[in-house]
Amino acid sequence: MSGPWVEKYRPQKLEDIVGQKQIVTRLEKYVGEQSMPNLMFTGPAGVGKTTTALALVKSILGEYWRQNFLELNASDARGIDTVRDRIKNFCRLKPVGAPFRIIFLDEVDNMTKDAQHALRREMEMYTKTASFILSCNYSSKIIDPIQSRCAIFRFAPLKGEEIKERLQFICENEGFEASDEGLETIVYFAEGDMRKAVNVLQAAASEGETITEESIYEVISKAKPQDIGNMINKALMGDFMGARNILRETMVLQGTSGEDMVTQIYQDVSKRVIEGKMDASIYMDLIEAIAECDFRIREGANPRIQLEALLTQFL
Amino acid sequence: MLWTDKYRPQELSEVVGNKKEIKIITDWVDEWKKGNPQIPLLLVGPPGIGKTTLAQIIAKEFSEYIELNASDKRSQDVIKNTIGESSSSRSLFGDEYKLIILDEVDGIHGTNDRGGVKAIGEIIKSSHHPMILIANDFYSKRLQSIKPKCQVIKMKKSRWNSISALLRKIAIAEGVDANPQALKEIAVKSQGDVRSAINTLQALADKDTTLEVADVEGMVTKDTRSDIFNAITGVLKSKTPAHVKEALWVEEDPTLVMEYIAENIPREYKKKDEIKKAYNYISKADVYFGRTQVSRNYGYWKYATDFMGIGVSNSKHETYKKFTKIQTPTIFGLMSRNRGKRNLRDAIADKMFDKMHVSRRVAVSMFPYLEIMFQNDELAWEISDFLELEEDEIKRFRKKKIPKKVIAKMEKQKEEMRVEERDKRAEELKNQMMNVIPEVEEPAEDELPFEIPGIDESPEDDVVEKPLVEETLEPAVEEEIEEEPPKEEKKEKKKTDKQVDLFSF
Repeated sequence: MSGPWVEKYRPQKLEDIVGQKQIVTRLEKYVGEQSMPNLMFTGPAGVGKTTTALALVKSILGEYWRQNFLELNASDARGIDTVRDRIKNFCRLKPVGAPFRIIFLDEVDNMTKDAQHALRREMEMYTKTASFILSCNYSSKIIDPIQSRCAIFRFAPLKGEEIKERLQFICENEGFEASDEGLETIVYFAEGDMRKAVNVLQAAASEGETITEESIYEVISKAKPQDIGNMINKALMGDFMGARNILRETMVLQGTSGEDMVTQIYQDVSKRVIEGKMDASIYMDLIEAIAECDFRIREGANPRIQLEALLTQFL
Repeated sequence: MLWTDKYRPQELSEVVGNKKEIKIITDWVDEWKKGNPQIPLLLVGPPGIGKTTLAQIIAKEFSEYIELNASDKRSQDVIKNTIGESSSSRSLFGDEYKLIILDEVDGIHGTNDRGGVKAIGEIIKSSHHPMILIANDFYSKRLQSIKPKCQVIKMKKSRWNSISALLRKIAIAEGVDANPQALKEIAVKSQGDVRSAINTLQALADKDTTLEVADVEGMVTKDTRSDIFNAITGVLKSKTPAHVKEALWVEEDPTLVMEYIAENIPREYKKKDEIKKAYNYISKADVYFGRTQVSRNYGYWKYATDFMGIGVSNSKHETYKKFTKIQTPTIFGLMSRNRGKRNLRDAIADKMFDKMHVSRRVAVSMFPYLEIMFQNDELAWEISDFLELEEDEIKRFRKKKIPKKVIAKMEKQKEEMRVEERDKRAEELKNQMMNVIPEVEEPAEDELPFEIPGIDESPEDDVVEKPLVEETLEPAVEEEIEEEPPKEEKKEKKKTDKQVDLFSF
């Protein structure tokens, strides 16, 4: 009776957080002082930004943390006005049973710059009653005025050993057998992303009592977008429109993100060159294009347009 | 004088079309006159079909009326001061009702009109006066919270033949000689917008000559797509920089123009190297649009425009001598066809945000793993229960329904755990009482042990929309511990829920 393990095994206290020791030490000081500046947590997915924020909020606000805490998604489809309204309504009230109130805003890097400027004004307006914790993948996408108002904490990808230990802990707790190779495979695949690792583990566990290397590979291949190889084949054969359609359908119907698409494309062509199915010089030309595409997407270009352009490189 | 004003209908019978809707409105007026207050009317429909006119005709039936429209600065204060007061301060003159007309309600903007929508909601609640709200877009987000409080009347576009008949009347009255075919042309081109049709007629009419079809053909239609289509043709069919630059001089969002160009590159260009080169320029244009966004330096736009214009046009060896139909980007069709699927996806993601603190983007990235987990019947039930998923949401992850046996078993398990938990808590509470420690108990998961004054769970509408499921899920614990009056209600609710379940099987 648990639902998703990523939630069940989310550490609740600062001291339980995996990795990020220096950050945790610094945050514990804030708890001791019962005050904190605006914070910005930046780093890749699944390294503990939200977990750390929640744990910090609970220890610093104490018993009535729920009443003094507002969690918002900055890329809320209802738009920045909704976000601002909720911040305003929340900040208008004085903290009760806690020294101040805290607003946690996720995905700030996905806000438009105009929205960020608006957010900056809100941050200034309520300095007396509320502190902000902003979370993002890329601090480079955050406007300077916001960065300069925050203490910035950079979260590093988790070490393989740290992830493996946690997975072992979960397996023991849930009563699952897991082979060492199986766990190693998850760690390799997760690339420092604990959420991904735990999700793969639970998905594999849902299929059988023991977790082996094979069962992990099965999960990984089931979970990835199915049509990538097909899309690349079409492009290589010169059918650009066909390839473009697959790309669009994958992104719209399955909601696969641009970054995931780039990773999948990279893995697909890598496999081809290793298996000797693609010429090394062609491969390197493609890698240059893929790398540039990756960079541009993270820099704020339109992922779909960049990926469509990348597909023409396969023609 | 504008003909649209001069020939504005003065009686309901003169209004073009929408007879059924008008009947509802007159009934509404009659009820008010009999002294039976009615909920506000919300007239929704495309521009130029007579919504405001209707409201003004009705206004004559009341002693007085106040009209506010989008051109007024609608901050909360303005609305409250001008209509807030008059809406609740009736009764000095007995049955004298003031009609309040609020035009272009969906035009209220979040930033400039802080709380405008909310203020309207409040006024609707407190008003003792008849109110008519007018809006264009039925699906506007700004109407979401207002719609349920009003009687919504969807006004339809007028048919071309009734518009044409009206134009003929006006032409005769103005002494304009017009070919009926030309009037028909105007009516058709107006796409149901009576106001624009009358304006067009006035612009074209000349007392000395007969209005002919040819005169009308020169008129620009309301359809802006023709602009963008010309622009795309200019880029794809020309190799002359001057032509391309001129073609791109359109009043459209440049990133939309870029989408159109990109869509049509492989449709027009047939050689691989042309497509490669052209798409490479598109990707560069996109980079500069992105940089414009980041830096808010609109000076970058010119580079983007050159990349997608001259860059793309110059990527072909020679202009193709064939006719290619310019296509609307398929991505738009794909998105709108799958709006239902995407909404479902977002609804699930929002539930995951509530329970798992993940953004939509992250939530969606977890879907493939959830799909695998959902193949396991028990886990499927657990996760659905945890996230409070509805049946159609569960179907997103597994085709088959969760077997009833499994559901029954899991529900029983859950109930047992709940009882166990309750006993444990009761025990704890007993111990505490015995020790007479006056400390406050740790608050139960989503619950406050008591009301803390001053905490006002935001009075927003979205709070209201929250499903009541949460309450019905964990009543066992609190029923034992707390002795509060609202319990009665909860029990009631639980009962009806069960009934619904029984019948739905």
